[in-house]
Amino acid sequence: MAGLEITEETKQQAERIGTADVVVGIAGAVSGEDARVRAARVIEELGSGLSGLRFVFTWPGAAPEAGDAAENSSLTVAPLAPPAPAGEFWTAVSAHQRAVLALAESLNARACIVLGSDLAALDPHVIQLLVYAILDRQCGLVMPVYPAAKYEGLINSGILCPLSRTLYGRRVRYPLAFDFAASGALCGSLARTMAAPDNSGGSLLWPVTVAATQFPQVPVGQVHVEVRHEVATGGLELSAVLGQIAGSLFYEMEHCAAHWQRIRGSQATPIWGNAADGQQDGQPIDAQPMLDSFLLGSKNLDEVWRLVLPPNTLLELRRLTRMTPEQFRMPDELWASIVFDFALAYRLRTISRVHLLGALTPLYLGWVASYVREVSTLSSGAAEQRLEQFSRAWEDKKPYLLQRWRWPDRFNP
Amino acid sequence: MWQQVEQSLQSSMGRVMNRMATLLPGVLAFVVAFLLFLLVGWLLSLLVKWILTAVKFDERMSRGASAIAEWSPRSTPSLLIARIVFWCFVIAGVVVGVSAFEAGTSEHIISGWILGYVPRVIGAAILLLAGNVLARFVSRSVLITGVNLNLSYARLLSMGVRWMILVLTGAMVLDHLALGGAIVELGFGILFGGIVFALSLAVGLGSRDLVSRSLEREAARPVEIPQPEKIHHF
Repeated sequence: MAGLEITEETKQQAERIGTADVVVGIAGAVSGEDARVRAARVIEELGSGLSGLRFVFTWPGAAPEAGDAAENSSLTVAPLAPPAPAGEFWTAVSAHQRAVLALAESLNARACIVLGSDLAALDPHVIQLLVYAILDRQCGLVMPVYPAAKYEGLINSGILCPLSRTLYGRRVRYPLAFDFAASGALCGSLARTMAAPDNSGGSLLWPVTVAATQFPQVPVGQVHVEVRHEVATGGLELSAVLGQIAGSLFYEMEHCAAHWQRIRGSQATPIWGNAADGQQDGQPIDAQPMLDSFLLGSKNLDEVWRLVLPPNTLLELRRLTRMTPEQFRMPDELWASIVFDFALAYRLRTISRVHLLGALTPLYLGWVASYVREVSTLSSGAAEQRLEQFSRAWEDKKPYLLQRWRWPDRFNP
Repeated sequence: MWQQVEQSLQSSMGRVMNRMATLLPGVLAFVVAFLLFLLVGWLLSLLVKWILTAVKFDERMSRGASAIAEWSPRSTPSLLIARIVFWCFVIAGVVVGVSAFEAGTSEHIISGWILGYVPRVIGAAILLLAGNVLARFVSRSVLITGVNLNLSYARLLSMGVRWMILVLTGAMVLDHLALGGAIVELGFGILFGGIVFALSLAVGLGSRDLVSRSLEREAARPVEIPQPEKIHHF
């Protein structure tokens, strides 16, 4: 795999800085002044707690202070050349994350903390927790656990979390996160993960996949962080984002098949920090628009779904379309088998990958409609318990995935 | 008189039998040449497929340009190339067979005509194939995008796009084959122009009232405060 290119200026600055214990990088365009102020506050508040450690902060376009300011400042800043324009939102985020990890590797850092560009996680408590998990608890990778919110991050709850857990055997709540921390040993491998060659998968960074496949003995941990990232959803179309994220995960699945086929069940990952209070439940949400999208999809996309899904799944979907809105409920096993079948179709190129990922959207909205109805009367905590049950159903369905993956032509339930 | 009738019938039958006897070697030569090329083509296509599989051609192609995989996802690139090799030999077999047929009959009119027309047929076949693939791909794209945009008429739109591309392809193929001449061009022009004109009238005249009602509603509607999204997918 080709290594990420670091500019000459960054290399020179890295040589000037020497080594660092902890590199804290912002993965995305950010106001330099805001970043500097917040980073200085982190250093000041961490103070004696982590005084033995040398922190280096970096963000795209960061410039180290010169002259007296540099000598008087306790803040060490390394420049980070922004990566080449990567197109869509998540692809750009992953490109910045890789750049930060590459810089951490060049500085021989013991830990690298990657944070979102809204600076919500650039907080002394969060930094302290992540450093504790990596350096004191010897975790190779630490992922965040954001405050429970039953109507947020639904793509993660419905697809990414259960699928990643089922495949790689690690119970990570947010496998694709804006913020995470990695040990020095993992930085290089994470920075060198390859982009998918075609436009249907994007080039997202999946830290849990890399840790599970390349460093299976290295522990993965999680920390509770009281951070809410406000993703600017204006201009982002659901089917495009779903296609990009799911496509990338299917791409990783195809290339790591030799690893996940050997894994059975899942291991709990240690969690540190105090769980924040869940989001207050507002008014119940109307699931009818999502249900209408699902019904429209089932009426018009039957010819496409027939190429991907086996007959009994199609029969189940037809049964769902005949339910009243009050009765509508998509079983967990059905949704899991649908995602597995789409992953298999992605690998076999049954139809164009762009079309395949587009045809997943109405089915996903059907699941969302079912989920929204089911958790409308539950608290955020109870909804999390429901999602745990949901993820276990995916694990129980793994034998189906294995059989279909190994014998796609012969096995037809 | 009957003897004369009998004699002329016998002489015509004799000429027919002679002609058939003259043609038979040519027909036999055609069949042998065609079958030979069919066999060679089949063996070579197997060999090509084996070589391409051995050099992992499909994997290399999937890492590079994905256009073939996207447009014809069920046929791997190596399978497509093997099929192209096979059908090239089949076409060559037909041409050589026709030449062998004419060598047996000492007439070269047909082969001259066929050899001149074969490039047009090949071009038309390629156009037809490309048009069908394009029609299928574009219509499916329109269908899926329309459904994701919650358009109730997504299927109708998709069918309309597919038929427009197929009609255009058909006209191009007939024009390339030089069949129908000006009738095809005129017919296509009338059909396509008629469709576009009908759509313009339908949209322009039919929606005139709708547009004015819509504008009136917009002007009369009170200012709405946008509600924050309650569901976040990402």
